[in-house]
Amino acid sequence: MKVFWEITKLSFQRQLSYRAATVAGLITNIFFGLLRASVLVALYNNREVVEGLSVQDIITYTGLTQAVIVYLSIFGSYDLMRSIHQGEIAGDLLKPLSLFTFWLAQDFGRAIAGFLLRGLSIMTIYALVFDITYPTSLAQWLALIVTLVLSWLISFAYRFLVNLSAFWSPDARGIGRFAFIIVMFFSGFLMPLRFFPDWVQTLAYFTPFPHMLNTVVEIYLGAVTGMELVKALLAQVAWAVALVIVCQLTLRLGTKRLVILGG
Amino acid sequence: MKPIITVENLSKTFQVRKHHQGTLSVLRNFFTRDSRVIHAVDNVSFSVNKGEVVGYLGPNGAGKSTTIKMLTGLLVPSGGTLNVNGFVPWKERQRYVSSIGAVFGQRTTLWWDLPVIESLHLLQYIYKVPEATFKQNLKEFERVLELNEFITSPVRSLSLGQRMRADLCAALLHTPALLFLDEPTIGLDVIAKERIRQFIKHVNDVRETTVLLTTHDLSDVQKLCGRILIIDQGKLLFDGALDTLQNRFGGKWQLVVDFAESYPNVEVIGAEVVRLEGIRVTYAFDRSKLSVSDLISRISALYNIRDISVQEPEIETTIRNIYEGKLLESPL
Amino acid sequence: MQHILGSYFRLLGAQVRSQLQYRASFILDVFSTAFFTITEFGALALVFTRFETIGGWTLAEVAFLYGLVELSFGLMDMFFAGFDPTFFGENIRKGSFDQLLLRPVPVIWQVLGSDLTLRRIGYVFLGLTIFVFAVHFSGLEWTLAKVVYLPFVIVGMVLFFGGLFMIGSSFTFWTVESVEAMNILTFGGSFLISYPMSIYQDWLRRIFTFVVPAIFLNYYPALYFLDKPDPFDFPFIAHFLAPVAGGIVFALALAFWKFGLGHYQSTGN
Repeated sequence: MKVFWEITKLSFQRQLSYRAATVAGLITNIFFGLLRASVLVALYNNREVVEGLSVQDIITYTGLTQAVIVYLSIFGSYDLMRSIHQGEIAGDLLKPLSLFTFWLAQDFGRAIAGFLLRGLSIMTIYALVFDITYPTSLAQWLALIVTLVLSWLISFAYRFLVNLSAFWSPDARGIGRFAFIIVMFFSGFLMPLRFFPDWVQTLAYFTPFPHMLNTVVEIYLGAVTGMELVKALLAQVAWAVALVIVCQLTLRLGTKRLVILGG
Repeated sequence: MKPIITVENLSKTFQVRKHHQGTLSVLRNFFTRDSRVIHAVDNVSFSVNKGEVVGYLGPNGAGKSTTIKMLTGLLVPSGGTLNVNGFVPWKERQRYVSSIGAVFGQRTTLWWDLPVIESLHLLQYIYKVPEATFKQNLKEFERVLELNEFITSPVRSLSLGQRMRADLCAALLHTPALLFLDEPTIGLDVIAKERIRQFIKHVNDVRETTVLLTTHDLSDVQKLCGRILIIDQGKLLFDGALDTLQNRFGGKWQLVVDFAESYPNVEVIGAEVVRLEGIRVTYAFDRSKLSVSDLISRISALYNIRDISVQEPEIETTIRNIYEGKLLESPL
Repeated sequence: MQHILGSYFRLLGAQVRSQLQYRASFILDVFSTAFFTITEFGALALVFTRFETIGGWTLAEVAFLYGLVELSFGLMDMFFAGFDPTFFGENIRKGSFDQLLLRPVPVIWQVLGSDLTLRRIGYVFLGLTIFVFAVHFSGLEWTLAKVVYLPFVIVGMVLFFGGLFMIGSSFTFWTVESVEAMNILTFGGSFLISYPMSIYQDWLRRIFTFVVPAIFLNYYPALYFLDKPDPFDFPFIAHFLAPVAGGIVFALALAFWKFGLGHYQSTGN
């Protein structure tokens, strides 16, 4: 257990050292947030509310989506597959910690750093510049914390799974690109899922992706409350558990293959 | 005859900004101008004649690569004059580089994913090498470097030794008058090193190509270089033949004597006993003060000698002594 | 000059041959770049079913902007790949840039020939597809002048963004850490002009009119092609400044490159 936190801490500290990149990244986030807000506000065209989201809500949405890019690694990560392809994985498999747990700990540290450095800072800037929406009740804030943790877990498990394709294919990177483009669409990153036609939304909920980002947005903005909120959180738990199980199974298959083929 | 390389009072100074640490470091670095001056090359002068093979030695950070960069036109000098093959390298870059070839031990000049021969064809076009010359050179290099083993393989699949051979071929395809080599034998096994050295010798013999070679491998120096330049902390410490270096800065020579019997005391004036194993005694002596024959005479006057062998000081020791500043009374 | 062009095309050829060796990867990559565009534009199109217009522009009209940018940027990204600051910065850091200074061909042409990221052709195809869709559904009425002007608009954007790439790469002569900052202008800029500039707040639009002349690259030509009125009452010539805007940025980029290269040769790595 202690090893877990050690790894998390190391990963966290490493993220803190990338100072110049953080500043540039923040400016990029603000710029894109501003552009997307302009597009969405223009789409609203003086309508006050669309699908339960006010203009203020939609501006907040653009801040939220930018804020979680680093925290949830929305654009994907390719570290593990690179490690597998370069054969470094053989050493990792000999360590006492399971590969999954090791990368989980690492990603947790990275995610916390991203949350603080990029997530909170972007929302703070947004709060200063715009009139944004905030959760209104303590219950909502608590639910937000829970959903953020679950989101991260789902995101991690999915990324882990995608990277495991490296055990089977030298083109894992290409596969990864597809896999992460899908996330952008179905997680509600490009547009709030509510704005899509019903059939698209139905399709989306067959995947874990809405539960990565869309749920967080909806809980934050208060678009889901009461029973709906509870159901959303339960759905996240279900998907998280399911994905973690699939990860473990796939990892077992993958390492078996590695051992047989000799890395 | 005019030298092919003339270097006069060449200098290169760098201003290194002091890098601040801390949260506001980015701003501080932007606004402050704390810097220190580094004299990477400090008033160096030498000249090289056509057809020489010159070794360029020095510890890491001594100014070797900075000098090479200026000689190849990559870097603009801070002071002094530099003339190679009638050009001022950095001024007339495009015209100048057609007359030189360069191989850097760490990086390849060839295209990673393409078969070697395709890289060579590409370079043939870039250097405007006439077809006849290209064919002739290629045939010669194929023979001496045994390129046929791998000439159709992509560079990424070559071993280090093969890659070096391919790079050498590429560097000489356009029949340059000068060849600059930066650590050409680094990382190679003994056989591969020897092959590279043979090739360099061949090229120098047959084409009179002037070669300037930086290396840490002292066997390279011994086997190839008629002349060596030693640079340290930007200053030229030595310019001359290897023998001169040994004679003036070499460490002690050794005489290994097998006596007819085991003597209790084998001391002799002018030499120091460094090892004693039964009847075999190793003496160390300063050859500039006592000749080999004189020392043998002194020993044989006192003891019965059965067998003798003379050992030169290791060149490594000599060079190391120079680097460590031990033998630096008068550099030139 | 013939030798320079000949060297350039042969260098590009070497890149093409190298990249095509990894055929499976290449095909997969082309599809993934195409897929990205489909997804991004698809999200916009689906949302349009609910909103119908943006700033008075229909989906087809926005598609005109979006497709044209995608097509031009994709072309630029392929041919100026050697100047992609991320790629170029790596070469500087590793020291492989020096190689180029040792060959008897002007450095700019060698850098241009040093990469041709073929897989980005996916963006070009999709951009073209979306543009064709836009032309068809927007009711654009072609005239000879418009047909002649269209390639100039594309060239304008290629020069503009290519110039930005070149400037970003020149910055790496000083510090490799500057790459991220430039990406804001290139990728942010292309995103910006994919939508009608009239939707942006005044201060933002003015920056991209008077400081960075991006408004003339795509928006003004689109007003001309789609016969839409000019909401800002600029002189009529504003519609035809696309190649000029691109040309100015490119000329600045060339000057800055020369300056940067001079600095690199004075201070080394």
